Amino acid sequence: MSHAELPAALHGLMAEFETPTALVRAAEQARLAGYREMDAYSPIPIEELNEALGLRRTRLPKLVFLGGVIGGTAGYALQYWSQAMAYPMNIGGRPYHSWPHFIPVTFETTVLGAALACFVGMWALNKLPQPYHPVFNVPEFARASLDRFFLCIESTDPKFDREETARFLAGLHPVGVSEVAP
Amino acid sequence: MAPPEQPHQGRVTPPVIAPGHTFRSVTDKIGGIVLTKRTPIGWFVGFGIGFIFLLVLNVTIGNLLVTGIGIWGNNVPVGWAFDIINFVWWIGIGHAGTLISAILLLFRQQWRTSINRFAEAMTLFAVACAAMFPLLHTGRPWLAAYWLFPYPNTMGLWPQFRSPLIWDVFAVSTYGTVSLLFWFTGLVPDLATLRDRAQSKGVRRIFGVLSLGWRGSARHWHRYEMAYLLLAGISTPLVLSVHSVVSFDFAVSNLPGWHATVFPPYFVAGAIYSGFAMVMTLAIPLRKFYHLEDFITMRHIHNMTKVMLVTGMIVAYGYANEAFFAWYSANPYEAFMMSNRMTGPYALFYWTLIAINAVMIQLFWFRKVRDNIVLLFVLSLLVNVGMWLERFVIIVTSLHRDFLPSSWDMYAPTRWDFAMFTGTIGLFLSLFFLFIRFLPALAMFEMRTIVPEAKMEHEHRG
Amino acid sequence: MTAQTHDGAHLAAPRDIDGLRSRALIAGVVGLVGCGLGFVFDRDHFFRSWLIAYLLVLGIALGSMALLMIQHLSGGAWGVFRRVFEASSRTLPLLALMFLPIVLGMGTLYSWTHAEHVAADAILQHKAPYLNVPFFLIRALIYFAGWIGIAWTMSRWSRRQDEGDMSVNKRLQYLAGGGLVFYALASTFAGIDWIMSINPHWFSTLFGFIMVAGHGLSALSFTIVVSTFLSRRAPMENILKPSHFHDLGKLSLAFVMLWAYFNFSQYMLVYAANLAEEIPYFITRISHGWQYVALFLVVFQFIVPFLLLLSRDLKRMPHRLIWVSFALLAVRYIDLFLLVSPEFASTGANLHMVTGAHESHFYVHWLDLAAPLAVGGLWLWMFFTQLAQRPLVAFADPYLREAMESTGGH
Repeated sequence: MSHAELPAALHGLMAEFETPTALVRAAEQARLAGYREMDAYSPIPIEELNEALGLRRTRLPKLVFLGGVIGGTAGYALQYWSQAMAYPMNIGGRPYHSWPHFIPVTFETTVLGAALACFVGMWALNKLPQPYHPVFNVPEFARASLDRFFLCIESTDPKFDREETARFLAGLHPVGVSEVAP
Repeated sequence: MAPPEQPHQGRVTPPVIAPGHTFRSVTDKIGGIVLTKRTPIGWFVGFGIGFIFLLVLNVTIGNLLVTGIGIWGNNVPVGWAFDIINFVWWIGIGHAGTLISAILLLFRQQWRTSINRFAEAMTLFAVACAAMFPLLHTGRPWLAAYWLFPYPNTMGLWPQFRSPLIWDVFAVSTYGTVSLLFWFTGLVPDLATLRDRAQSKGVRRIFGVLSLGWRGSARHWHRYEMAYLLLAGISTPLVLSVHSVVSFDFAVSNLPGWHATVFPPYFVAGAIYSGFAMVMTLAIPLRKFYHLEDFITMRHIHNMTKVMLVTGMIVAYGYANEAFFAWYSANPYEAFMMSNRMTGPYALFYWTLIAINAVMIQLFWFRKVRDNIVLLFVLSLLVNVGMWLERFVIIVTSLHRDFLPSSWDMYAPTRWDFAMFTGTIGLFLSLFFLFIRFLPALAMFEMRTIVPEAKMEHEHRG
Repeated sequence: MTAQTHDGAHLAAPRDIDGLRSRALIAGVVGLVGCGLGFVFDRDHFFRSWLIAYLLVLGIALGSMALLMIQHLSGGAWGVFRRVFEASSRTLPLLALMFLPIVLGMGTLYSWTHAEHVAADAILQHKAPYLNVPFFLIRALIYFAGWIGIAWTMSRWSRRQDEGDMSVNKRLQYLAGGGLVFYALASTFAGIDWIMSINPHWFSTLFGFIMVAGHGLSALSFTIVVSTFLSRRAPMENILKPSHFHDLGKLSLAFVMLWAYFNFSQYMLVYAANLAEEIPYFITRISHGWQYVALFLVVFQFIVPFLLLLSRDLKRMPHRLIWVSFALLAVRYIDLFLLVSPEFASTGANLHMVTGAHESHFYVHWLDLAAPLAVGGLWLWMFFTQLAQRPLVAFADPYLREAMESTGGH
């Protein structure tokens, strides 16, 4: 980009690719070259990127399980407390703690707890919503949600060097390499 | 990975997407419907019709709140009628959306991809229509929160959790919430695409806010895919539970015709059956008027027909089962209920629903029928009628002849019953037309994953 | 993709199967001797125990046949298990033979076979057009004729497919469609005839679904066990991948949940309505020691396998999954035990035939071990014999390429 006169302040360097395969290859090579602080951007989920970027398994399933347990426990406790302790009523001679009747609501609150944990957890772990992000400063990036694939090596990477990294990215046969303003 | 086109049976299975599409063509086609400045005339016509009936709904609700539920035809002994018939009908229709989104995703059925988004939207709108009825049948819906939800109040009263009506409240509200979360999660990457492609600044800003700053990061996709899968896993038992709970409304009683242990799976099958019929009813005109035949292919139509065949057969099994056990139980009340259904004053309704749900669906065995779009459209409308009649028969014929002959009576809906019912259809249509105009009706990012460009090249496979 | 070009000779079953087969036969013969002793000295118990063991293996065979038909209709990634399903469904002729003791024991098992009971019971008189000996036998004949006919035809056409005759593919689909309808109806009525009518007053419209869920769970568990064994040996070691077990594991999870769903629904609805014509069935099963068996099933046929099968890793590791499936098969037996046994007094007599005694106390008889050994051993012998007869992969299956390519993203 034309920001060469602004020194130092840079989010990173971004290479643009035409196919998912090229992006995965590039990510693999960048990782082989020792880069760690980087991210890939694509208009479709690409499973192979997880390995290429060395992403760890997400904690989300544990979170969802926890949400379900909390939801279910709370649902059953609410029913037990309100029907057997706070407001006991004789309904057709059934025991106050008539557990088969409490299962449907317990199930629903379990599901609700798990789903809320999943939804909130996923967006929170992704740190979204986020009103501003440097990658959007690159004009070509508008196609990241359409048909182009991007690899961004960030300036926080210890191996990052403005010229060296740009040369490295250019060597991966991208469509172009851009500097990402912070 | 498009499934191989197998030449088995000497006939090619139609593909899930027409050949020749690219990331861009798919996005342009679907996104264009939303981003275009020109709204087709047909859209105004469709929305207008829906809106007129929505106004009918408003008038009805106004009258209902002022006058009371006495404007309905409900009586003693038929204390439940159009309100719960329509509630069950709508909630059943909603089931197909979650089924397509969740269960077919778990089973890696690629054909779900182009129909999931609008089927999910259909679910939400159907749930909204369904929720009207229990809410309004309380007569004073502004007090409903206090009657229906466990709301700590100064009188120390609590809802009665042994009642399936309270289970319904939890089931339907959970279902609505989870469906909304699922739908919105699926929309976010598409909203980001629309943000990046919008021409006007205002539109870009709206989609920018809605898309939460989505940028397609691999780290995000990684968690996103996991979350989507987990939500699918959670929704699958949920969708079964919702109509089971609805069936409990009837089955926990000891009324002949209502108390049957087969009700939960039989209701769930009926719900999926009617839901797919509604998806078909919506998909056939949608693909025609927006020229989406490349995306909603004959493969989708065939598979939806097959799902309707399977679930319809389960429903038919339920009818046969009820009839057999009415005799096998040796209970005279059960036997009378069944003979009243078959030969009593509402027998015509019973035999019509049998003709549709048990006999007519046998047509779906034939490939010729599955290939005939116009016929399928008519049949899917008939299925919706048949499933409405099923609920009518279950509810009214069981109630109008109860244990005590002195309380027997007939039920006839009033014009307000019909106004309310058609009014919810208007609400549904209005919401649906707004949806296809302002949000992508097909999941663009998922459609992109099935075009040939998305296929990874592996050196070792060549 | 070598499988598509070869004639299947290299896909023959591993030799170890012969060892398993003879061991199964020995176990079966030992069990049969036990059963013979039981037949002579403890006839009432023998019939009851035989019925329970019989229902378990019948469920495996029928469930396998149903899964096979679903596979023909839907395709999908589990086509690699087709030969296991086929071998299970080809055991049905043996199962028809093993039904004979139940015919012999009708007088012990079913009170409605006795004219004097029917004469004293208005409900039994009402049901007599359905519950009578000749019609019972005719129905059994129809069930077996249909089941065996379907299994045999599918097997024959499957062989034709191996030989390269692709014209059978379409016919297989039609047969599978009609076959599933027959299977569902026959299984429902067989459940009514053979289990529900032990207590001739009781009825539940959900019973057919409970039968089918049980068949599915048994068949899936059995298929996982056999396929794990095969996956450690040539030729299947290179064909069966973790993703295939993942699919079966997911289906097992689904059936565990379905089983719980059906049984809970039935229990809750009967509990809630509390009608005199339905509730005795459950009162028997939640008292006099039977409640512990019921609780055991809740824990081990639902809660524990459900939590275990939630794990993605477990489903992808056959050497761990096999233990869950083994346990599930054992629990299936206990489930059937609870369906049948509480209707019998500890003397082995049907409660509904004993005047005065209206309570059943929990008990286990030594024949409850001998009968499954006999029935299971003989059945496994037949199963392995059938399995060894065909190449282990249905290499001409039109869906097979898709199935073998599947990597199981989820």
